Amino acid sequence: MKKMILIARKDIAIQLKDRKAFLLLLLMPFLLTAILGFALKGVMEGETIPAEVIGVYVEKGDPLGEEFVENYLQQDWLTVKRAIHEAELEDWVARKEIDAGIVLPTEWEEQRKSAKILAVAGKESSALFTQQLTDSFSQTFWTMSQSTQTIMTNLALAASAQGAAIQPDKIQAELLMEMKQAAERKGQYIEVTSIGEREVSSMQYYAAAMAAMFLLFNAVRGGKSLHQEQQSVTLDRLRMTPTRVEFILGGKFLGTWCLAFGQFLVFMGATRYLLEVDWGESALQTLCIGLAYSFAVSGLAVLVAAFSANEKTADLAGGIMVQVLALLGGSMLPLSAFPEVMRKVALVLPNSWALTSFTSIMTGTTWASLGAAALVLVAIGAASIVVGTARMRGIALSGGK
Amino acid sequence: MLTMTQVKKCYGDQEVVKGVTLHVGRGEAFGLLGPNGAGKSTTISMICGLVPYDEGDIQVDGLSVNRSPYEIKKKIGVVPQDIALYPTLSALDNLLFWGKMYGLKGAEAKNRALEVLETVGLAERGKDRIETFSGGMKRRINIGAALLHRPELLIMDEPTVGIDPQSRHHILETVKNLNEQGMTIIYTSHYMEEVEFLCKRIAIMDHGQVIASGSTQELCKRLAGGNQLLLDVEEAGPAFVDKLKQLEGVEKVVSPQQSEIHLYVKQGQDMMASIVSIASEEAVKIRQIKLKEADLETLFLQMTGRSLRD
Repeated sequence: MKKMILIARKDIAIQLKDRKAFLLLLLMPFLLTAILGFALKGVMEGETIPAEVIGVYVEKGDPLGEEFVENYLQQDWLTVKRAIHEAELEDWVARKEIDAGIVLPTEWEEQRKSAKILAVAGKESSALFTQQLTDSFSQTFWTMSQSTQTIMTNLALAASAQGAAIQPDKIQAELLMEMKQAAERKGQYIEVTSIGEREVSSMQYYAAAMAAMFLLFNAVRGGKSLHQEQQSVTLDRLRMTPTRVEFILGGKFLGTWCLAFGQFLVFMGATRYLLEVDWGESALQTLCIGLAYSFAVSGLAVLVAAFSANEKTADLAGGIMVQVLALLGGSMLPLSAFPEVMRKVALVLPNSWALTSFTSIMTGTTWASLGAAALVLVAIGAASIVVGTARMRGIALSGGK
Repeated sequence: MLTMTQVKKCYGDQEVVKGVTLHVGRGEAFGLLGPNGAGKSTTISMICGLVPYDEGDIQVDGLSVNRSPYEIKKKIGVVPQDIALYPTLSALDNLLFWGKMYGLKGAEAKNRALEVLETVGLAERGKDRIETFSGGMKRRINIGAALLHRPELLIMDEPTVGIDPQSRHHILETVKNLNEQGMTIIYTSHYMEEVEFLCKRIAIMDHGQVIASGSTQELCKRLAGGNQLLLDVEEAGPAFVDKLKQLEGVEKVVSPQQSEIHLYVKQGQDMMASIVSIASEEAVKIRQIKLKEADLETLFLQMTGRSLRD
């Protein structure tokens, strides 16, 4: 065990002295997180509420229509496009440039003509939504109008019976204003809350994705490090010391594990404080998954070393492996964008387990649900070590031939 | 200190070491010679426990290498042919690491590393990275890394390849001193003068076998005949070489090149007239004839038909 720690310490010292490689391992994921997080912010954060685009044509400046468009439809979750004439609106609908269209006739205010809703093929729900919006507005208007008239009539009757004089225009205007303000007031009694998991932001997603992807490079670096020892004969020299082959490999593994976890810690800290990425409420959960994932990646390093002939093939094959795993594991595109088959493939990939676990922690999860992921990651690492060590021990005993 | 008995090693169908038997006594400096591919490196790897042997036995200080590899590794120090050091670490850090890998601890490891730096003449460069060292300095640290645990047997595989004369001299002096202090040395080199300087006994290996072993004086006397005549000729045909072989007193004729013929003879001076006469008969023009006393170089060439550096 002591010799394993010695070898691991030596590997860490060598790695820390190679400043270029070390900075690359830290800077690259940080930069990619920043770039992808900012670039895909709109795409990922727009998914929670779909932005509706409604086209509107108001015939000859109908006042009620103007009121509807200029005030009622001005919402954060709506985009309003005004057409100059009805044909233009119909053209937008035909070309599916909008989700639904509304034509507001001149005599809409007098209820002589109805508003016309234009549905886009395949977006009938948007047409229904637009119709409900229009109905809601017109019913509110006509209710207010009818109420005002009733109040005014009663007031006039009462005043004439008492012989008093009233100012009907002033009263009507005040009444209308109060009712309008009441109708438009945003209810303080409404609280918006989400049930179930919170959504992760693009910055959070890509911080987790880049951590999962760039930690994988430790598998390549670890594998290459063993080949470097072989090439520079230091591996032979290590084997000439009174140290078992298993302890030499164990030391190399331990070094890779410590470096991978260290890289994760620095990356997590940098994204937390420089990019303000929220890694979730439980730092302990994140660290546990980070530790388990680093273990899995270090196991893969033993496999890479065992199944590659030299440093060059380890570099090439390892590089391809990282790219494929990153793509299939959701580090480049969110797993939710993948078809079902691909999502099933991702279930055997350590980076996919790590990524899913990190995002689960970000949205809030329990230790029980994280346990399975941690176990899978440790199992992948352990299986890789067993297979890789068996093969390398075989090669060593045959004298490397 | 070291006994090899009928040791064999095969890689697949190829037998690379064919029943090697050797004995190296405690405190002895022993030279192992052989051209490239003779089986020296495999033999050394088997002694160090890097490669398991298939048949026979190797014993170091009475312990079998295959059965007690870790006990034996504590007694052996190996200087590999290549520089087996970490270039980005300092000389001191390298020595500390290797010392600890041999079981030295804390202050003991540090003191020993400083002592070894002194021994190899690099005490002032301890904190410098290996990558900043010259070839000769790297070789000296490479040797130093094998000395940290005070091995009883030091195996050196061509430790002076590609270095400047000053560093080579320093290394040879260091090894000689270590041997004089009682350390057993097994030394392989392509430089005969190094082997002659350091070793009292040698073994010559070729094609996986020991073809001769004994003291250098014994071997030169026994195998080379006495003198060597070096002929520098223009286009020597096979008939000329055949006639030379039939001359009385000629032990062996080797022709490494068409223009170069080596004759191993009892009395070189007596043969010259006969050689010139044969050359005249065969119309071979002799440019130069040299008479040389037999040494390891000539011995090696005679035995293997190849120069050590081929």
